Amino acid sequence: MKLQLRDLQVRFGEELAASVAALDVDAGEIVGLAGESGSGKSMTIQAVLGLAGTAGATVSGSIRLDGVELIGMSPARLRAIRGRRVAAIFQSPGLAFNPVFRVGTIMTRALRLHGLSAAEARERADAALRSVLLPPELLRRYPSQLSGGQLQRVAIALALALRAEVLLADEPTSALDVTVQAEVLGLLRELRDTRGMAILFVSHDLAVIAELCDRVAVMRAGEIIEQGATSDVIASPRHDYTRELLAAVPRLDA
Amino acid sequence: MDDDNPLLAVRDLRVTLGPVTAVDGVSLTVAAGPFGLAIVGESGSGKTTLGRAILRLVPAAGGTVLFDGQDVLAMRGRRLREYRRAAQIVFQDVDNSLDPRMRVGAAIGEVLTVHGLARAAVGDRVAGLLSETALDPALAGRYPHQLSGGQRQRAAIARALAVSPRLLVLDEPTSALDVTAQARILELVRRLRAERELAYLFITHNLAIAGELCEQTTVLYLGRVAETGPTSSLLATPAHPYTLALLSSVPELDPARRRTRIALPGGPLSATTRPPGCPFHPRCPLAIDTCRVSVPELRLVAPHRQVACHRGHEVHAGLRPGADSAAKTQPASDDGSLGGPGHVRRR
Repeated sequence: MKLQLRDLQVRFGEELAASVAALDVDAGEIVGLAGESGSGKSMTIQAVLGLAGTAGATVSGSIRLDGVELIGMSPARLRAIRGRRVAAIFQSPGLAFNPVFRVGTIMTRALRLHGLSAAEARERADAALRSVLLPPELLRRYPSQLSGGQLQRVAIALALALRAEVLLADEPTSALDVTVQAEVLGLLRELRDTRGMAILFVSHDLAVIAELCDRVAVMRAGEIIEQGATSDVIASPRHDYTRELLAAVPRLDA
Repeated sequence: MDDDNPLLAVRDLRVTLGPVTAVDGVSLTVAAGPFGLAIVGESGSGKTTLGRAILRLVPAAGGTVLFDGQDVLAMRGRRLREYRRAAQIVFQDVDNSLDPRMRVGAAIGEVLTVHGLARAAVGDRVAGLLSETALDPALAGRYPHQLSGGQRQRAAIARALAVSPRLLVLDEPTSALDVTAQARILELVRRLRAERELAYLFITHNLAIAGELCEQTTVLYLGRVAETGPTSSLLATPAHPYTLALLSSVPELDPARRRTRIALPGGPLSATTRPPGCPFHPRCPLAIDTCRVSVPELRLVAPHRQVACHRGHEVHAGLRPGADSAAKTQPASDDGSLGGPGHVRRR
């Protein structure tokens, strides 16, 4: 199993922000994490990234990457994994990039931090940008000069350039137009199919998850209340809360 | 719908923002409430600017806006203030549309006193408005940051309703919310339209929302009307390739209902570099030579259905991208790029 979460608990003092008994993401698989704002989806992602601690939370349980335990790992070793083997994209790609640097500088700096030479970094950034169908000219632009959809593609390109094995996607399309959302979903499918990436996709929208994810886990008030193959969960939800989430999706045939 | 005596009649409205023509000759009609008109398009289509120009929040460069038969663009002084009471707006950005230093009750009460609608018993009126938007009246004492996104948006709607408007412009009021909060806002709009006989412009990029709440739909592309008509008919038999693409992008729960996705290469163009011919042709999977040179005018394809597309009749009759080229799907190109430039991709 590429990514394996067991008895994961994220606490702020007494308060339990997320409690995941078991969640697995295999290579070449997209797993959805569904739920409303405040259900603990993002905290789960932050914990996998080893960032929940910096937000003041205490994390217990087990998070394994290819069988290797990440919880309790030294910050230096974790830094070598985070970003390179485990990459993340977020809801607001505009906030994910330092606005004073050009896109190319942002990408090559990240690559060089993970040990590539300047020449290799430039080459990889260039190739990755082409992979997500963006012209390499964008490397010379500043983040503010790109659209939201373009920025999200750059974020995905960075994960590609770093040869990430796991991609954590926290509502990456919620701020995008439906047309651009459809493009980004298409791109994520291709990452799964052609690069064998393991993707954990967080969304409040079960229709988006239905389009994209092989399996889904539904979170509510910090806990996973239901999980299974996406088609099964959507066709025959077991939990009232899942039915509520399904009913909230606006439908064209309504 | 009552075409002879509409609440709002917009003709050939043009709005320029510096060198950019954001709204380029848009006409639309809103009947007296209860009535909903959806304005649908991507970022950059001009839908927000159109809503703001109708409310005189940005100046128009040409055209007419008639509200109850009165010329909105020529209004000044008292008449303009009356119009601004009759026509209200709810913004997408719930985080910034309420003053963070003002308690919610005070923000709503201020509107009542400014418009001289309540001198005494302001608190009661505020409580009434909060309950009408399904908020606990006790929230009046809270600051905006103490409310959830959905609650903040409902407070913004309560504030807009304080002056008993006849027209509401809802500018993507649910785009920043999760689907459950969105569903509750849509339910609120549905209830208000019945109870208050509201007329509204619902600005959105999601055609599924148009289908739930609006009798009529106008699809905008680069500041021009691509297609307009009764929502149910427009969704059932779209006549513009851009509408097809928007429809195919709506995420669908049921795999059996999932449409073949029509990808639009290139992303939305900026209005600063408007192409010659049809503004949509550089991204259009059905473009023919005519489209590259001649701008299509809006014309009827069916009763009440207008489309600005040289192939509008064919699309309305069922022409789909890929149909004439045996639905060729482009394989990933050999330079390792993901997803070829093909217009049609099976999911």
